[in-house]
Amino acid sequence: MNYSPTDLRSVRRPIETANGLPNGHYIDPAIFAEERQAVLFDNWAGLGVAADLPEIGDAVPVNFLGMPLLMVRDKTGDVRVFQNTCRHRGMILVEEPRKIEGAIRCPYHSWCYATDGRLVSTPHVGGPGQNTHDGIDRSLLGLIEIRSYIWMDVVFVNISGTAPAFEQANADLIARWSEFDQPLYHGGANSRFQLDLNCNWKLAVENYCESYHLPWVHPGLNTYSRLEDHYHIEAKEKFSGQGTLVYRQLKDENGHVFPDFAGLSDKWDTAAEYITVYPNVLLGVHRDHTFAIILIPDGPERTIEHIHLYYAQETTSAELRDRNTEQWKIVFAEDVFVVEGMQKGRHAVQFDGGRFSPAMDGPTHLFHDWVAAQMERHRALPQAAE
Amino acid sequence: MNALNDALLAAHAAGDGRALVQLYEQAADQAGTPDTAGFFLTHAYVFALETDHPHATELRQRLIDAGREEPLQAPLPPKR
Repeated sequence: MNYSPTDLRSVRRPIETANGLPNGHYIDPAIFAEERQAVLFDNWAGLGVAADLPEIGDAVPVNFLGMPLLMVRDKTGDVRVFQNTCRHRGMILVEEPRKIEGAIRCPYHSWCYATDGRLVSTPHVGGPGQNTHDGIDRSLLGLIEIRSYIWMDVVFVNISGTAPAFEQANADLIARWSEFDQPLYHGGANSRFQLDLNCNWKLAVENYCESYHLPWVHPGLNTYSRLEDHYHIEAKEKFSGQGTLVYRQLKDENGHVFPDFAGLSDKWDTAAEYITVYPNVLLGVHRDHTFAIILIPDGPERTIEHIHLYYAQETTSAELRDRNTEQWKIVFAEDVFVVEGMQKGRHAVQFDGGRFSPAMDGPTHLFHDWVAAQMERHRALPQAAE
Repeated sequence: MNALNDALLAAHAAGDGRALVQLYEQAADQAGTPDTAGFFLTHAYVFALETDHPHATELRQRLIDAGREEPLQAPLPPKR
């Protein structure tokens, strides 16, 4: 591809003198293609949630950055991710979410795959009524499985297969939130919603990471959650976000609240934390609920946010869950004009990526620095240009 | 065979995989040659696999015995 790679040296400087990522990282299809590989495919990216596959045999196709993938809950209950293509002629296997009763049958020539990916039938491959052939070794022709890992109910995938193991890559974050390593119960249909954003996916991350904008964009917080009640979460080259010291539980008219997660330490009585699992998963934890936001990029200037809310027990008040969903919808909707406004701003050719507040933008700068590091690693590889 | 053929076409049109297993088994049992029987048995087996039909194991064994199919491989662990 014939284009000039962006100069990322200024992004990687200390925050006091650093610039943000250049405009091209938000609007240029060639750089989007580079980031697709370097940032999203080479790392552990969020694809969906296990709650979308509640029963054995459930199958959900997902188009991830143009790549057809298939999430399946196999016969033993494990969630797996495959390329959604037959090993014969590359036909798409599953077009819509559905239940696989037995095997996945390709609708073209009926090659069949078990839910664990094994190729179990190749009808007429050796001629009519002859279903084997010396040239067709089924053990080598199972569905192409993508590395996957479930954490906080999010289905993470490493498309390239080259990242360190998930538990290793995210060891510090898993340890930080080890108290939430317990069953999470999806709140059901009204605890999932999506936002279609006219912006690059990274802008949603950048906005999520910092608390600097809260008093201006979410003025409703000012009455009880002041800017100084928040703290930065900064793990260089790993994750970043922000926390609050004054989380207040939602209550109904009778003072009822959601049940707490079991065994939490005192810190969580009033603390809540909001962290980006690089690259594209935004997580929030509170004493009584968590949420996961998965950002699915759809080209350089469009992103779909998939939002899911979870609770500590299987049965909670539907009315309270609805209120919680509405509360978060309002907060996330308040952010839309910001991320879409920044996207428009990235078309101003003399914008230099912007300068950061050294005091307030640390978590966002860490994300930029990490993206830049991924790009530099990728560009250093032989024939790395997309 | 015409009635069976009509029933097969109707089951295909309806996407009724479980009916297709039974109908293709009938077709195999009525076939005049081993090759024709093998063809229909193959179809019965494919739809039995797809629908998790209880005849799947027996159909696979019939095809293996006729030299037309191979045993299943062991399940695979997830790729993490």
